Amino acid sequence: MFKKILLATTGSPASFGAARVAFDMAKRYGSEVTIFHVLGVPTKAFSQVVNDVRTGEEVEVDAEYISWVEEELKTTYAKQFAGAENAKIVITTGAPHREILREARNQDSDLIVMGASSGDNVKYHRGYPGSTLQKVAKAARCPVLTVHRESASYWGGFSSILFGTDFSKQAASAFKFALNTARELDCVLTIFHALDISGKVLDQTQIEENLIVARKRIRETYVPLMGDFKNFDIEVWEGAPYVEIVKLAREKQVDLIVMAHHTRELDAEKAKIGSTVEQVIVRANCPVVSVSKPDKV
Amino acid sequence: MSKKILIVDDDQEIRSYLSELFGDNGYETVTAEDGKVAIEVAEKETPDLITLDLEMPNEWGPRFYRKLTLNDDLKRIPVIVISGLNANQYAIPKAVATLTKPFDADQLIAIIKETIG
Repeated sequence: MFKKILLATTGSPASFGAARVAFDMAKRYGSEVTIFHVLGVPTKAFSQVVNDVRTGEEVEVDAEYISWVEEELKTTYAKQFAGAENAKIVITTGAPHREILREARNQDSDLIVMGASSGDNVKYHRGYPGSTLQKVAKAARCPVLTVHRESASYWGGFSSILFGTDFSKQAASAFKFALNTARELDCVLTIFHALDISGKVLDQTQIEENLIVARKRIRETYVPLMGDFKNFDIEVWEGAPYVEIVKLAREKQVDLIVMAHHTRELDAEKAKIGSTVEQVIVRANCPVVSVSKPDKV
Repeated sequence: MSKKILIVDDDQEIRSYLSELFGDNGYETVTAEDGKVAIEVAEKETPDLITLDLEMPNEWGPRFYRKLTLNDDLKRIPVIVISGLNANQYAIPKAVATLTKPFDADQLIAIIKETIG
């Protein structure tokens, strides 16, 4: 499942949580982890001068500069590197999202791990994932695991997974990933549907009828796919989906949330990361995996 | 009958320091070096309070806490998080307190006194 992990990082404090989870997975599950850092965007095609992603300054990239950055990364993650046998650093230049996707494809990565944003732009403070994550999550062939809040990285391995569904076609791949992970790592799997009542005033009888319907739908849709896997719970209740997912994960002390990358848009090329996943990513107290494509689940 | 505190931390020095500190203040202590051992010790000793580190080899603090809360006999034991990690007050929101290393010994003892007497 997690043989090859690509940790896409800027080396900034905003990515420490992602690094902690990636290295912990490497040690716990014997995964190979590549620490992947994109220095910056070349000022001209094939130019040696790039705008550094972290400082915005123009720097000339030569072997000396690259080895200096590599040392910096090694120092930054010194604690994590200790005991991680299968870790290597890859440094390149280019547009970050494109290079991350290229590297994941070249390495045939099973999972991309990254922070939700580098934390220094205005949008971050408003609580939206950054553009690199948006672009990577949309186009990656493998699931993308995001760690946004530092407290989301304190679990150590996975043993309780929450799969949030709205029964869309896209959620099927996310479910497969959640189930396979639960099987392989011997986790409890909670299948959850939040009946979206935000902005509506519904009669209580109607709400409760819809809950019964949703529960039945979970049993019909997902239970037949689980075969001999019995370690699951089904939860359904009403609310604003992202709020309820975050609350349930906190209450159940879940250590991994799995969701589909998008739901309404059927064309994967057009689909943006769904607003519910987006909000769960920035608020959850544990890592969140978004699954966009059925390839690596 | 003195109250019993379970100290969960992978750092031997912290365990000895806390054992001594709590002993000097009239508490009995038991220790565990990670979450896995801690759950066994908790079941055997049923402590009155637990101090818990977050990042440990094998079983981390939050996962130990989840196991603790699934056990009807242990789920009401108050937990104080003592960790070197940042933002750790969000890691176990139901802990009675969260202290960051290096912590103030007097403050810790005051919290314990307030919690279990």
